Amino acid sequence: MMDKDVAQRKKTLVEEGTQFKGAISSDCPIEVKGRIEGDLAAPALSVSPSGAVHGRVKVGEIRSDGELAGEFDADVVQLSGTVKDNTVIRAKSLEVKLAAANGKLQVVFGECELEVGSEHVEKKESPALPKATSVRPPAPDGAAVTSTKLENAPPNGAG
Amino acid sequence: MPELTADVVLRKIKSGEKVERADLRGLAMPKASLEGVSFRRCDLDGANFEGARLARAVLKNASLREAFFAGADLREANLESADLEGANLQGANLSGANLSRANLEGANLQAADLSGARLTHAQLESAKLGGAKLLGAQLAHADLSETDLSTAKLDQADLTSANLNGSNLEEASLARAQLRDAQLRDTTAKGARFTEGVLANATFCAADLTNADLTGADLRRVNFSGARLDGAAATGARVHGVLGTGTPIQGLRADWVDDAAEGAPVKKLGAADAAALLSGQAATQKRYFGRGDVLRNANLEFDAGASVEIESLFDQCTIALGNDAELVIGKAGVLSGCQIRGAGKITIHGKFVERDAPGIQGPTQLVVSSGGSLIGAVEQPPELTRFAFEPGCMLRMKIQQARRDRAAERAVKGGRQR
Repeated sequence: MMDKDVAQRKKTLVEEGTQFKGAISSDCPIEVKGRIEGDLAAPALSVSPSGAVHGRVKVGEIRSDGELAGEFDADVVQLSGTVKDNTVIRAKSLEVKLAAANGKLQVVFGECELEVGSEHVEKKESPALPKATSVRPPAPDGAAVTSTKLENAPPNGAG
Repeated sequence: MPELTADVVLRKIKSGEKVERADLRGLAMPKASLEGVSFRRCDLDGANFEGARLARAVLKNASLREAFFAGADLREANLESADLEGANLQGANLSGANLSRANLEGANLQAADLSGARLTHAQLESAKLGGAKLLGAQLAHADLSETDLSTAKLDQADLTSANLNGSNLEEASLARAQLRDAQLRDTTAKGARFTEGVLANATFCAADLTNADLTGADLRRVNFSGARLDGAAATGARVHGVLGTGTPIQGLRADWVDDAAEGAPVKKLGAADAAALLSGQAATQKRYFGRGDVLRNANLEFDAGASVEIESLFDQCTIALGNDAELVIGKAGVLSGCQIRGAGKITIHGKFVERDAPGIQGPTQLVVSSGGSLIGAVEQPPELTRFAFEPGCMLRMKIQQARRDRAAERAVKGGRQR
């Protein structure tokens, strides 16, 4: 188990221009400026405006200014950016700030589901994600996406 | 000619002799090193201290009319009650200096650093303070009338009861500044930032606050009569007792304001009411459904721009909102098995449970505050809904796109498959 302080200081970075397909599990917070397609488990996930995460995500905290698609379980979620079609967000707490009238939307929601509130999470606790499994992320336009198994794979583009 | 030459003054200082109360008019000591020196009560009218190092110098009660201090270091200098009328202090560092009751009438303080300086009761009439730094400066009761403060930085400054009548505050920054009881008649404050400032009881009569930022400011009992607030931002401002401009405001950016009286809990007013209140126009008549009332199987229609607040129980009701109508479900409000449709703005502090999906159809704005809950589907209009969710809200919701968008999407997908 990684030392808690080290885990707090370090973070896994998926840089802009990097596309990661597969499962990623980390004891450190994950920052996504590029694109992740697949399962993700970490204490925290931050998605920058250039970033996108498509897949099944289980984290303590999500701060997203980028694009989310898939299934997201978290304690705390702070959203701006885009939530794509067929996305489910489950959280104890969700925050979306009100955008100025006539200004850019804080979040562009596609067809999605929000399940927010502590009652829900206690009742319907999702099982922990496996460390690395094959992944079939939702395709943005319905096209099939090839999944990739990345158990013990080198951090190609990540890190 | 001064009573003493610069060399004599320097010798006296080195030998520890006092130069107080001396006649030193026109003395030239540019770039001199005079840290901590006392010129108390000296007559230094027209003296030249350009670029001089006068940190912690004592110039209390000195006469410094038309003196030249451009670029001088006057950090923590004591200039209390000094007469600096017409002095040139351009680019001088006066941070932490004491200028209480000083006369700076017509002085040039452009780009000077007055951060943390004490200027209480100072006379700054017609002074030039463009681009000056006055962060945390104490300007209570100062006379800043007709002063140029354009682009000046006055964040967290204390301007309590200051006189800023006719001053220029264009693009100045006054975030978290204290302006309680200040006078700002005929002030030009275009694009000025008063965010989270305390402006209670201030007077802004005939002031130009076009595009000013009053977000989160305390505007209680402010007098805006005759002022211009076009394009100003005021979301979250406290507005109880405001005297409005008297004319309509174009492009006011205020999603909500707080109309609570002193000590009362937050009383949010929506955008339409905020504009009405700040413009002093008759506010939209609010429809209010109080606690304890129960409405069942009712169909209600509200006109464009209407303001509706529900603290009652609505059961199996349908509500149609005209364009820009505001519907607030108060903390005690419960809409059970209901449906809301129309391009209105909806705020949920209480509970909403739908009957048939989508329970909410076509809202331009939907806010669920902490403590609010929503169970149902929301169908966005084609131009999409502005959503806001506060931590602590409870949601079991589906967000859908407009029906015709969905139909078009299905047609496109069907076409692809064929």
